[in-house]
Amino acid sequence: MSLTFLQIFLITNVLIIGALTVIAIRHMIAHFRPQPEEHHPVHNPENTAKLPRDVKEHLLKTAQINFQNVLDHSAIELQKDLQTTGIQLNKRLDRLGLQMINDEMKLYHTTLEELRKQAEANIMSAQKEIDSHQAEIKDQLIKRQAELEDKMKLEIAEEKKLVMQQLDTKLADAVASFLTETLGHNVDLGAQGAYLTAMLDEHKKEIIKGVVDEA
Amino acid sequence: MKLKMPDCVASSQDIASIMMEIHEYAKWFSHEAIKANSNIKNQSEQPVMTPVAMKILREWELKKPISQQSLNLLTDELKDLINNSPSITITLAAPATRDIKATLVNWCRSNISPDILVNFQFNSTLMGGMVVRYGSRIFDWSFRRKLLAARSSFPEVLRHV
Repeated sequence: MSLTFLQIFLITNVLIIGALTVIAIRHMIAHFRPQPEEHHPVHNPENTAKLPRDVKEHLLKTAQINFQNVLDHSAIELQKDLQTTGIQLNKRLDRLGLQMINDEMKLYHTTLEELRKQAEANIMSAQKEIDSHQAEIKDQLIKRQAELEDKMKLEIAEEKKLVMQQLDTKLADAVASFLTETLGHNVDLGAQGAYLTAMLDEHKKEIIKGVVDEA
Repeated sequence: MKLKMPDCVASSQDIASIMMEIHEYAKWFSHEAIKANSNIKNQSEQPVMTPVAMKILREWELKKPISQQSLNLLTDELKDLINNSPSITITLAAPATRDIKATLVNWCRSNISPDILVNFQFNSTLMGGMVVRYGSRIFDWSFRRKLLAARSSFPEVLRHV
């Protein structure tokens, strides 16, 4: 948009300069071109013939001087106009360049800010995702750790129970063997008399039932 | 009327032993009877008999006077006891003493059957108590059995020591 405006402005300036150049050239051509005789009674041979030579020269010099003055004046004016136009053009270009730079900088800042915000948003989102993922991993880790601890405790308890059972069995076997080996000899039946009778009395019904069943 | 054995005569072996003594006595009695009939004055000594056999013989004599026939009848009676009386086997941890035997036999004859025969055996691994067998039934009330049955409680008991 700005570029298009600059181009239009430059083209307009070029057109103005072109027009001024054309006008100057036309003036110059008009000045130096000999006037048609029908339109310039001064060059009419009848009139010319009537003026003396020195007047003619004087007039010609005067005309040349005037024309030169006009031409110089026009050149000075044109130079001034060109200078003014150039200064204005420069100022305009400076302003335009400055505005463009400002606009571009503003746009750049805006874009940069948007990118920064987007990057921040992305970073925040990524951070959130990372935090969430870390929390999830941590939860899973804690859960897994708890499971492993429970499993380990259970296995240890089972192992302990098994070892205790084996120990108890071996201990019982050892005690039983020790007692049977130690107490298996020198039995005093005399001290067992009352016990034996009491045992028979206790199981009297069983014995009688057994005898009846056998009979 | 059935012959009643004293408590010290417990098993069929005891009765068989008494039968042998009675048989010896019957043989001696027969010889003496023949000598008496033949007027032979050389008398031989009466065979030595255990007090139990003597007691049984005297009790039998109270029922029937001693004769060859009554002695044969006594022998038959004893054989009948061996063959037809119920029999129980008691295994102890040591050879049974006379008192223990008498106590147990008395209990059996008082509570189970008056003419029951009690065979005694011993097995030192029982450690104590007894094993009673009647026919195919076995009642194990030995210490060994109790000890093995209570084996699982040993560690528990030891933990409280």
